[in-house]
This record gives sequence, structure tokens and C-alpha cells, in this order.
Amino acid sequence: MTPTEPLTRGTAAAAVRPPLPVKMVIAGGFGVGKTTTVGSISEIEPLTTEASITEVAAGVDDLTHTPRKTTTTVAMDFGCITIDPTLKLYLFGTPGQERFGFMWDDIVEGAVGGLVIVDTRRLDDCYAAVDYFEHKEIPFAVAVNAFDGQVEHSLDEVRWALDVSDGVPVVVFDARERGSVRDALLVVLELALARTEN
Amino acid sequence: MADGTPPPGPDPVGPAPAVRPFLVTAGRVADAASGRSMPVETQVVTTAAGLDALGRLSFERYDIVAACRLPQSIAELAARLRLHLNVVRVLAEDLREAGQLTVHVPDAEATHDASVLRRLIDGLRAIPDSRGEPSDTD
Repeated sequence: MTPTEPLTRGTAAAAVRPPLPVKMVIAGGFGVGKTTTVGSISEIEPLTTEASITEVAAGVDDLTHTPRKTTTTVAMDFGCITIDPTLKLYLFGTPGQERFGFMWDDIVEGAVGGLVIVDTRRLDDCYAAVDYFEHKEIPFAVAVNAFDGQVEHSLDEVRWALDVSDGVPVVVFDARERGSVRDALLVVLELALARTEN
Repeated sequence: MADGTPPPGPDPVGPAPAVRPFLVTAGRVADAASGRSMPVETQVVTTAAGLDALGRLSFERYDIVAACRLPQSIAELAARLRLHLNVVRVLAEDLREAGQLTVHVPDAEATHDASVLRRLIDGLRAIPDSRGEPSDTD
């Protein structure tokens, strides 16, 4: 399919040109604060829709030596921020990331960047998201959610444990604070911008 | 009990619709590459022809054309109308072919352009935090 132009004739409603939608992905394990993060900064209450993800089962089929794939329907939360009438930022919380070997291509394709939210008590939950963004070469930052202002490990420890490259920012934020979420998103956008300038 | 009782735990998206999702598309499904051809943030807008046809449309098609008088993403449409994303993709493509909707697939080059990223950064920085302070212009 090719992009289509809006009709210029007819009623005012029909002549509306939609904003350019830019997508960022909010990833992380179950219960880590993805929906809270989206809700803190979205101009609408986070919406939920059903999306399909393809899961690659752990292990391979003994007969064919190919991974077994199954399609799973999952709930996906998202919100948006209108920058101006011609530009709108969408934040999509990715589902299913606590499982092994999922694929989010249906949701992530075309995203300008990702934020991987981490609970330092459960670092394992975010390995898959980190691997995914690295593999897809999508600019991303790791954001440690400071539950109750507490972070159990230093950022250096988190960086070491996740084995992220030096170019990946690791920051602390509070998913409940709009300003804190805003600043974490800015880290990702600055990274995406720096990539375009290299 | 094997009587169709839903599994325990909170239902993330509420009760299931009475009509099976893909009945409304006559069994057609968006193909495997649909995420690439119509990403979740794709904008859809009702056309003048769509508004004219509104009285002749029914059910989901009516709902979509009515809702898209204001541009929105297919993800928003799916959430607000409680339809599966891929059902929205199929119906949006039908309505586009009928001239009743325009479908604006974002151009990845445009969304990744440095000037767009700068506008996003400036726009986000202007958002005040809960104390009303904009982001530091560091």
C-alpha cells in the first residue's frame, strides 16, 4: 500500500490532514510500570487494544529443527502527545515481553526509539527487550523505575548486569512523575537525533 | 468446568464481543506483513464521500467512518471501537478502496528525519512537570 493523499474537496472534516505520527515503544517486564509511564505523560487516558504477537517457542521442533511459532493475542496499552497540529507522538507499551523469544515486529516496526523500563529487583524481565532493540538497531535507553524512590542497585551495576553497550544510556526515573517520564523520553529522542547526525 | 467459563484473573480488555472478530471481515485477515503495510500509528480520516455514505453504512463500517471525522490512528480506532487491530486494518483498507476513508501510512524516512526529531524534542521539553516546570534546556 502506498501513502494516500487526503481529498481536498468536500467538507472541512474531509479536508483535515492528519498529523505525522511518530512512534516510541515502552518495553519491560510485567508490572514494571509501562502503563503508569504512558499514563503520566499521555494527553489521553491510556487506551488498550488487542494486538497479535508471534511467539517463538523455547526449543525447536525435533523433526524440522525449526522454531515453533505461535501467534498470541495480547493487550497493548498506548497513549499520545500532540506536539502541534502536524506532529503527534505515540507511546506504545509492548506486551508479552516476560516470555521467551517473542517478536513484536507488528508493533515496533518504524519506531524512532524505545525505552526499556527496569525494576532492579527483577532485572531478568528486561533482557529480552534489550536484546530485541539491540538486534533491531533501534535507539533505546534503559530507565530504572525508582519504586518509592528506592533503587536497589547502582546504575553501573545495572549496566553491567544487562551487558548493554556504552552507547546505551541508563537512567533512573519515576514512572509516576510526568517530568521524570518526559526527561527519560528526551534521552531516547536525543539518542535518535544523534544517530541521524552521524 | 468445561462450560466455557473464562479463566480466573482480571480480563485485560473486558468481556468478549458477541460477534467473533473476523466475522465482520467475512473471514479475511490482514496478512502477515500488515504491521509493515499499515503500522499501528497509521492515521485514518473520513472523506467527503465517506460522510455522504454514512447513512448507508452499518455496524463497524459506520462506526469507523463516523469516528474518523477526527483523524486517528488505527490503534485508537481499535481501542475505542473494541475491535481487533487486524479487523480494523482489513476494514480500513475496504473503506479506503471505496473512497470513504483516507489511510495515511507514515513514511519511515519522514518520521526519522532530524528536523522531526528536533521538533519532538522541543515539544516534549515544553511539557511542564507536575510542579509546572518545563524541562531544563540543557
